[in-house]
Amino acid sequence: MEFLTLLVILWAAWLLWRRPERERLAFLLLVIACLLMAIGFFIGSHGSLVPGVNL
Amino acid sequence: MALSEDRLRAILAWVVIALIGGPVLGAVLLGVLHGDSPCILCWAERIGMVLIALVGLFVVRYGPRPRYLGVALLLGVWGVYMSLRHSALHVARDVGQGFSAPILGVHTYIWALVIYVTALAVIGVLLLFVRDLRPAEGPRETGRAGRFATGLFVVVVAANALQAFASTGPPPWFGQGDPVRLSWNPKHWVWSFEELDPPYVSLRGSWTIPRPDPSVADPDPAHGPLAGLPVLGVSGWERIGAPLAGAVSGFARDSVTGRYLVTTDRWGVALLDSSMSRVLHRVVLDPGFSVDLSPLVGAAFLGGDTLAVVSDNKSWALLRPDPRAAERAEWRHFLSWDGQVTEVGLGRFQTVRAHQMYVRSLAFDPAAQELVTVSVPNPRHHQLVVSRFARGDMVASSEFEPRTAADLKLAAGRSLADYFVTGAAVDGGRLYAVSAAYSTLLAIDLRDRTLRGAWAVPGLAHPVGVAVWGAQLLIAQSDGGIAVVPKPAP
Repeated sequence: MEFLTLLVILWAAWLLWRRPERERLAFLLLVIACLLMAIGFFIGSHGSLVPGVNL
Repeated sequence: MALSEDRLRAILAWVVIALIGGPVLGAVLLGVLHGDSPCILCWAERIGMVLIALVGLFVVRYGPRPRYLGVALLLGVWGVYMSLRHSALHVARDVGQGFSAPILGVHTYIWALVIYVTALAVIGVLLLFVRDLRPAEGPRETGRAGRFATGLFVVVVAANALQAFASTGPPPWFGQGDPVRLSWNPKHWVWSFEELDPPYVSLRGSWTIPRPDPSVADPDPAHGPLAGLPVLGVSGWERIGAPLAGAVSGFARDSVTGRYLVTTDRWGVALLDSSMSRVLHRVVLDPGFSVDLSPLVGAAFLGGDTLAVVSDNKSWALLRPDPRAAERAEWRHFLSWDGQVTEVGLGRFQTVRAHQMYVRSLAFDPAAQELVTVSVPNPRHHQLVVSRFARGDMVASSEFEPRTAADLKLAAGRSLADYFVTGAAVDGGRLYAVSAAYSTLLAIDLRDRTLRGAWAVPGLAHPVGVAVWGAQLLIAQSDGGIAVVPKPAP
């Protein structure tokens, strides 16, 4: 999924560079990439929001 | 000094260049040159930095719109959280231990924290000086720095995507918690779903350990893991006659003076005379300062006048009768005090094998000068661990899971961890441990770490402690009743 996230980011960057009038789509891609990144971290931490420490 | 929008965009272009050309490009170079391969958490942190840089490019292209600022702040805060969460896995390890390659002596997950905090600080500083946040509609020319930043961004992110393809695979595969070194040879690529095995979601992960509750233990010896145990009949019943404020939770006897030490479920500690009818000293410990004492569960005499108690979270306190105890010094230690007890020590047992396990017992081995605890099982750690701590510094000296003697047969699929030890005492190199589950007395040889004998003790109800009295064992119950049983021959 990291590969996909980076492709989405590249797509957004390409829009900024070559199709700046597509700002809404570029921003949507930015948000999608943020969500993919957050989900990846959530999976990597096994859903354990709090680290292995005493609270 | 105020920043115009054009000036802000020019500065941001250089910030993007620094972020992408520094840590993000550096991470790729670590992979290409040194085979470094990010774990799934590292990937998220690296992509978070890329996204902050992308937001910077949005501002360079469209001006400082509020939603860009919102996303940047959210990414910064999320990045700080990610790096703290990630670092917490490693920062408490022993000296020199970490994960993956350090840079300038600092591992990448710590650098991630530095970078995200710096990003937030940069955002804050720029906002301090920006004139207003009302950009005109439509895209702008990005200028030379902006074009260079965008080009560098595309090249570095493409390199990252290439590395991600090799080390994590195309979707639906994703990164691994324990990756192998980066290789461009496809036969070494690991594309897996290992992070979903097991697929659990929990707020605290492996630290979700429920407190032990011996009251729910099955007291029937016939249901225990050791089948066909000999019966150790109760030869008589005694009773703690002295008034105690609370249920008994720990019990010990001093073989020299015949006195008894009793703890209660409300942090009470009472030293009783040899008849158990008179209180010689009584205190109630302050459980909150400065070591967190959860309910007391065990007591032991350490020789001389020193008394030890332990709570189920393996915190301990050492007490000593002292007719000259000073209130000014002791007020902080006790909620209730008879004026003649001193707290001489307070601390926590650190365990390795019994990590994340509670205890319900305490014993003292006078020959080895060691305190002994026995862990109780929990849903995440089904083990019976005997932990020993040196009397001198209260630091762990050994831990073991007892073997089972050849003449003791465990039922299929059962283990000694099915027992729930709630009281223990050492005598003659043997650890006598009573289990609330299956009302069983266990005798563990501390020299060869082997369970040498086990006996069913029918009739026990909520046992909380064991003491040795000559040829007899005294098994205390939470209601103050004392079952007297013959001490099994070695």
